[in-house]
Amino acid sequence: MNIMVFIKQVADTEARIIIKNDKKSLEIENKYNINFFDEFAVEEAIRIKEKQKDVQVTVCSIGPQKAIEALRTAIAMGADRAFLLDNSKVAIDDPLVIARILAAFAAKEGFDMILCGRQAIDDESANVGAMASELLGIPHVSAVLKMELLDGNTAKLENEIEGGRGIFEVKLPALFTTQKGLNEPRVPLITGVMKAMKAAIPVIDPFTLDIPQETIATGASKVTILSYEPPQERPPVKIIEGETPEEKVKNLVKALKEDAKVL
Amino acid sequence: MSKDVFVFVELKEGTVRKVSFELLSKGKEITGHFSSTLYAVLMGHNVKEIAATVQPFSDKVIVIDNAGLADYRWDTYAGVFEGLLKKYSPYAILGGSTVTGKDLFPRLAARFNGAMVSDAVGIDFHDSGIKIKKPLFGGKVTSWLTCSEDSVIFLTFRPNSFGVEKGSQNGEIIEEQFDVVKDPKVNTVSTEKHVSEKVDLQEADFIICGGRGMKGPEHFQVLEEIAGIMGGRVGASRAVVDSKWREYEDQVGKSGKTVSPKLYIGCGISGALHHTMGMDTSKVIVAINKDPNAPIFHYADYGIVDDAFAVLPVLKEALKKTKEEI
Ligand SMILES: Cc1cc2nc3c(=O)[nH]c(=O)nc-3n(C[C@H](O)[C@H](O)[C@H](O)COP(=O)(O)OP(=O)(O)OC[C@H]3O[C@@H](n4cnc5c(N)ncnc54)[C@H](O)[C@@H]3O)c2cc1C
Ligand SMILES: Nc1ncnc2c1ncn2[C@@H]1O[C@H](COP(=O)(O)O)[C@@H](O)[C@H]1O
Repeated sequence: MNIMVFIKQVADTEARIIIKNDKKSLEIENKYNINFFDEFAVEEAIRIKEKQKDVQVTVCSIGPQKAIEALRTAIAMGADRAFLLDNSKVAIDDPLVIARILAAFAAKEGFDMILCGRQAIDDESANVGAMASELLGIPHVSAVLKMELLDGNTAKLENEIEGGRGIFEVKLPALFTTQKGLNEPRVPLITGVMKAMKAAIPVIDPFTLDIPQETIATGASKVTILSYEPPQERPPVKIIEGETPEEKVKNLVKALKEDAKVL
Repeated sequence: MSKDVFVFVELKEGTVRKVSFELLSKGKEITGHFSSTLYAVLMGHNVKEIAATVQPFSDKVIVIDNAGLADYRWDTYAGVFEGLLKKYSPYAILGGSTVTGKDLFPRLAARFNGAMVSDAVGIDFHDSGIKIKKPLFGGKVTSWLTCSEDSVIFLTFRPNSFGVEKGSQNGEIIEEQFDVVKDPKVNTVSTEKHVSEKVDLQEADFIICGGRGMKGPEHFQVLEEIAGIMGGRVGASRAVVDSKWREYEDQVGKSGKTVSPKLYIGCGISGALHHTMGMDTSKVIVAINKDPNAPIFHYADYGIVDDAFAVLPVLKEALKKTKEEI
């Protein structure tokens, strides 16, 4: 069985981000990680491999050279192979372009199951999984919380649905997006890290994949960034005065009524 | 090409969700500007009566009533939308950035090769079209995006991004029928919804969040009571969820839910970046923390520096009184 995992390297939540003068580009402090939700995808793939014979786990990422670090982490956790898809000449602002490249790569390598994160924590889009499965013509299940393989070609999944939980049985090949709660991602062992250091990670030019070039090139973007702005700053906090909790609450309620007008 | 706008109306236990009214209100502004038509798209089973509630907010209400649409599935809903979009070719389609919206819209956008922006918080006019406001990096940066207009534009918005205006129209009802086809590869074994009177965390106008400073699960009772008085919801920090004091679905923050209520109150929460990223678009933020140096005070509009256990019972009574006055 072939499991394909899509992972994205994202800026750490603590990383400083500066909007450049042109207001169209960002300077991001050099602190990056595997996307939080993608770690569950890598972990789940490895657990399947540990339980079953003949499972190959392939991870891939679209990104700059740096993203190889994230791929190495996945290998250190236990993935078999990793590929970087060079993003330098593609329309990275358009989620459909990202999905198109990942889908084409998965189709080329072959897969029985694709796992990816529920959403990337930088763009918070939650687009790529459902888009890639549509492009591949396979079913998907979003925000998976439990997963079990019933036989070689059916998976049983429990996921988050609106206001509750759903249980589905899905014929493979299929794509599942992973949600917190599915598993506890492992911390790589030193032997894994050693193996990852030595692993050769091929860099693939997306233009060599079987996709029309004009649908992924920078001009193909259907979504264009006009500008970046800093978030609106809040005025400094007003600390509510008072001798006792009673007085403070009284003053707070007054402020919320008269000042903020939310009560 | 027309500049007609579709709004995907979401239902919860047979009533229209607040986010759909927000989108219809904003949709009206857009179609008003373009002198085009606003369609509310209502699908499900036994939904004809519900149409009346969205009629005041739309020029036209498309109703697709079919037993096969009783429960949301991407395959059946996307199939119906496919028929609709081919027939009506709208300019843009708006939905909530909800569990359902996040599942359905990208699938459709890929099918129609459309421009897709999800989890947006604002929309404005730009040149002859529109531009979309979307926070990135957990709110550290705000971006404005434009969408190519040569195919349908798919947009999902965070609940509470727009206000609900008064609807004064009487939208024409159009009943449509499309084949509802299930993907045979996906079998629904069961679905279980927590039936609750409580509003959805992401849609709540009022959220009171408890952190590790609440000391234990039993102390969330007073937060529940306050949320009850205010018609809102209780949220939690990850530290609380990890300690199993509250369910994961209550978690606010980077790896939990992004919320944007009118009033957020944080109690015994330090205000770690991972938490504030999930709530810093709230209209008004109040923090109650005994440590005057807690980072949450950098995000709050109002702060009380005191023991939460002393403040909360008093706050409960005070809020109860204000509610009774109204
Ligand atoms: C990848 C990643 C993702 C994360 N995602 C999230 C997320 O989605 N949501 C989230 O919340 N966190 C998240 N975190 C965790 C986050 O970094 C913080 O650890 C967490 O938010 C801290 O929770 P807390 O404020 O409840 O607890 P603490 O930081 O322990 O703060 C407790 C506060 O309570 C105050 N206090 C104590 N006693 C009292 C009292 N009697 N009265 C009043 N105040 C009192 C203290 O002064 C203190 O400020 C994430 C972390 C990582 C690494
Ligand atoms: N550049 C990328 N390379 C590989 N996988 C990605 C990339 N962008 C997104 N993904 C995958 O798609 C998921 C959803 O991303 P998004 O739609 O951007 O929120 C992520 O959790 C990843 O698993």
